[in-house]
Amino acid sequence: MEPLNAFRPRTGTPDQWNAAFIRVEDYLRAHRVHNRLQQITILEKVIARAARRHEQDPSLDPTTLAAEEIDRMMDEWFGELLGDKALPHERIAVEGRVALLLSDGVERWPYAFLDDRQVPPEFAQEMQRRSIQAGPDMTVTSMVPRPIELGALTEVAGQTFEQIEKWPILRVSLLWAVFLSVLALVFYATR
Amino acid sequence: MSNGFNKWWSPPDRVTTSPFTVEHVDKSRVSRRRATFFSLIFLLTALATWFMADLLWQGPVNLIDLPLLVLFAILFANIATGFCTALLGLYVINRGDTARISRTIDHVPLDKLQLGSTAIVMPVFNEDPSRIFEGLRVIYRSLEQTGRLDDFDFFILSDSNDPNRWIQEEVAWAELCKQLDGFGRIFYRKRRISINKKSGNVADFLRRWGQAYRYMVVLDADSIMTGESIVKLVAMMERNPTVGILQTAPRIINGVTLYSRIQQFASRLYGPLFLAGLNYWHQGESNFWGHNAVIRVRPFMEHAALPDLPGKEPFGGRILSHDFVEAALMRRAGWKVWLAYDLEGSFEEGPPTLIDAAKRDRRWCQGNLQHSWLLSAKALHPINRFHLFQGIMGYLGSPIWLLFMLLSTLHRFNAVAHGDGSEKYTMIFDYLVPVPEALALFGLTMTLIFLPKVLSVGLVLKHGRSAAYGGPVRLIASAVLEVLTSALLAPINMMFHAKFVVYILLGQGVAWVTQQRTASDEADWREAIITHSGQTAFGLVWGASAYVLAPSFFWWLLPVLLGLVLAAPLSIMLSRAGLGRRARELGLFLTPDETQPAPELTLLENNLEECYRQMQPIPELRQDYGLMQAILDPYMNAVHVSLLRQRRLGSHSVRRYFVELRRRLLADGPQKLSSREKLALLLDAESMNWLHEQLWKQPPAQLSAWWRLAMRQYNVLTATPVTALYR
Repeated sequence: MEPLNAFRPRTGTPDQWNAAFIRVEDYLRAHRVHNRLQQITILEKVIARAARRHEQDPSLDPTTLAAEEIDRMMDEWFGELLGDKALPHERIAVEGRVALLLSDGVERWPYAFLDDRQVPPEFAQEMQRRSIQAGPDMTVTSMVPRPIELGALTEVAGQTFEQIEKWPILRVSLLWAVFLSVLALVFYATR
Repeated sequence: MSNGFNKWWSPPDRVTTSPFTVEHVDKSRVSRRRATFFSLIFLLTALATWFMADLLWQGPVNLIDLPLLVLFAILFANIATGFCTALLGLYVINRGDTARISRTIDHVPLDKLQLGSTAIVMPVFNEDPSRIFEGLRVIYRSLEQTGRLDDFDFFILSDSNDPNRWIQEEVAWAELCKQLDGFGRIFYRKRRISINKKSGNVADFLRRWGQAYRYMVVLDADSIMTGESIVKLVAMMERNPTVGILQTAPRIINGVTLYSRIQQFASRLYGPLFLAGLNYWHQGESNFWGHNAVIRVRPFMEHAALPDLPGKEPFGGRILSHDFVEAALMRRAGWKVWLAYDLEGSFEEGPPTLIDAAKRDRRWCQGNLQHSWLLSAKALHPINRFHLFQGIMGYLGSPIWLLFMLLSTLHRFNAVAHGDGSEKYTMIFDYLVPVPEALALFGLTMTLIFLPKVLSVGLVLKHGRSAAYGGPVRLIASAVLEVLTSALLAPINMMFHAKFVVYILLGQGVAWVTQQRTASDEADWREAIITHSGQTAFGLVWGASAYVLAPSFFWWLLPVLLGLVLAAPLSIMLSRAGLGRRARELGLFLTPDETQPAPELTLLENNLEECYRQMQPIPELRQDYGLMQAILDPYMNAVHVSLLRQRRLGSHSVRRYFVELRRRLLADGPQKLSSREKLALLLDAESMNWLHEQLWKQPPAQLSAWWRLAMRQYNVLTATPVTALYR
C-alpha cells in the first residue's frame, strides 16, 4: 500500500487545526460550494497557507489564520476576475460576492471557484457584468405643501384645540364637565 | 389576461364613436345626476323621519324624543346614501353608462395604446416578503406579456423596521432581479428614517425620482394588477390629459379564513352595483383610495403635498388617511379624479380575521376623523367635502347608532314606566294601516339595507352567471349566510368603532394583544376573549335590563344583542382557516376570481405555495434570523452592505458606541441587544463588514453559544434553498 502523503501542520494542536478546517469548510458551504472535491482542494490550500503563517507566529489562532487566508485568496481572485486589484478589501469582497451571487457563479461553474488558472471566459464576463443598482439616477426636486385655509370656524377651533393641548388640566376638566353633563341629562330625561 | 367572464355588469356601449374623452361629458348632465342622487336621499330620509316622528309623538312628549329623531335622521341618511348609490348603479347597469372613462380607449388594441413613462411604486412595511415579491413577479411577467414593459419601472419603497423582514426584502429583491433580469428596471429603496408613514414614503420617492416619470401607479404590498389593466389605466390617463388621478376598483382575493372568504364574496357580488352607482354621481370628482390607482406625477407633486393639521395626533398633526385629502387637493387645483370602475384585473387582499379588520379600522378611523378639520376648508369641491364627510360618518356613524339604540332603550323604559306599552298602527295620509308603526319603519330600513344585496343576486341569476359563484343554489345559500353573518357582525363593529372614536377624541390609543397577520387554524382564544369581553358584557347587561323592564322591546333588540353576546366565539369561528377551506370545498362563498381566476392569480397562488414549502429556521434562531443572515451569509452580507449608504465617520463617542455594540453582539448574542441597537448595526455598513469578517475569524470559544449554533445550523439550511425566492 502506498504511504499517505497528507499535509500536516508543524505547529498547533490537532484540535486547533480541526477547528480551523471546520470553519473554512463552513465558510465554503456558506458560499454554496457543496462539491466535496472542490471543498477539499481549496481547504488543503487554505490550511497550508495558514500553517505556514502559524509557524512564524504560533501565538495566533489557526481558525483566525485560516479565515484570513481564504479571505485573501478570494480578494485576489475577485480582483483578477473583476479587473480591479487596487480596491480595498471591504469593497472588493463585497463587489465580488455580489457578482458571484448574481451570476450564479458557484452553481453554474462549480470548479471555477477560487481557481485562478482555468477561468471560463463566459464566467468572467458574467462576473464583470453583474452589479447592484438599487435606484436610478436621482433628480431631486421639492414637494412642498400648499397652505389650506380651513375656514374661520375651523381656524378658531384649531387654535382653541392647540391651546387646550397646552393645558392638560383644563382639557381633563372640560372632558369631565361634558361627561357629567351627559349623565345629568340622561338622569333628568329618565327620572 | 383579464377575466372577461366577469364583464356581465359592464354597461353596454350606446355610443361607440371615437374619439371620446372625459371632456365630452356634459356638465349639466353631471349636475342632473347629482341632483337625482341627493334628492333621492333626501326623499327617503324625509319619509323615514316622518314615520319616526309620528311614532315618537304618539306617546307623551319626552325630552329624549328630539335627539332621538335627529340621530335617526342622520343614521337613515347614511343608509339611504348607500341604497341610492346601489339603486342608481342598477339603473346604469341595465341602461348603460356612456359617461365612463374606460370608454375613452374602447376598441383600441393594447399594442396601439399611447403610454407615458410610468413608475409602479409599492410602499411596504413589514409585510410578508414572499407575498410582496411574488406579487411583483406576477405583475412584471404580466406586463412583459403585453409587450409594453419598456414604459415601466418598478420601485419597492420599504419602511420595514423589523430586521428580519428588511433583510428578507433585500435578498428577495436581488434574487427576483436576478431571475427576471430586472436590474435597472426593478429598484429597492429602504428609508433610514420613516417620516410620515406611507404618504411620506411615496413623497420621498417623488422628491428623488418623480421628475423622471409622467405617471405613477401606486400599489399596496398585497395588490395585484394584470399587465393589461396597468397598460389600459395609463393609456386612459394619456388619452385624458385633464385627469390627475384614476382609481380602479380592486377586488378582494386570496381569502382563506371564513371571515375573509365572506368579505371577498360580499365585495365581489354586491360591489359592481355600488361601483356603477358611485361612478354615476362621482364622475370627474371621484375619490382616491390610496392604491391600485394611477397618478399624474407633476401636478401631484405641485398640489398634493400634505399640510399638517392643527394640534397633535391623534386628532390633529400629520394627516394619516392621505388618499381622500390628496384627491381633494388635486381637484382643488383643477385636476379631475375618475373611477375606472369597470376595469378588469385589479386585486387586493383583505384582513384574515375580524380582529385584524378592527386593527386596520382603528388606523382608518383616526385618519378619517382628522378630516373633520378639512370639511370647511376653502376652495374644496363640494363633492370632495361630501367624500370627506362620508369617510367621517363611516366611523362616527357607529357611536351615533349606539347612542340612538341606548336612547331608544331609555325611551322604551320610560314609556313602560308610564304604562304605555301598547302597539300602535301606522297612519299614512289619514289612512290607518293595520301594521305596527315600528314594524313599518323597521321594514323600510331593512329594505334599504338588504335590497341592494337581493338585487345583486338577482342580476347574477338573470345574466346566467351563477355558475361562477358555485351555481344558483350555492349562490343563494352563500348570500343568505353572508347576510346573517353581516347582521351579527354589525353590532360588533359598531362597538369597535364607537370605542375607537371615543378614545381618539380623548387623545388615547387603543391597546391590542398579540397581532396575527396570516390565516391560521390555531384559535387564539386569549386574544378573542380580551378583545371582545367588553362587548359581551355590554350585550348581556343591556339584554338583561331590556328583558326585565320591557320584554317586548327585548325581541326588537335581539339581533343586536346576539352579535354582541356571541362576539368572541363568532370571532374565533370566522378566523379559522380550516372552516374557510371547508366552505370552499362545499362551494360556499365562491367568487368568479376563484372559479375562473385570471392567470396571474393562479401563478401567484402556485408560486406562494412553493415559497412556503421552504425549510424554516429552528425556533432558537427564528427571532433574529434576518440579522443572522446579514452577518453570517457572505452573499446576503454583501447585498446588504452594497445597499447601505456609506456613513461619514462619526465622532469618537459614536465610533466607540458601535465598537461596543459589535463586541456585545458577537460575545453575548443578539438576544442581549435591543431592537433599536440591532437596527443601528444593520444600518451601519462599516459595522456589517466588520461583523461578517470577525464572525468567521474568531475562534469558537470567543463566540456566544447563539452564534455557534447559528453557524452549525446555517450549514444545514444552505444545503437547500434558504430564502423564499431561491429555487
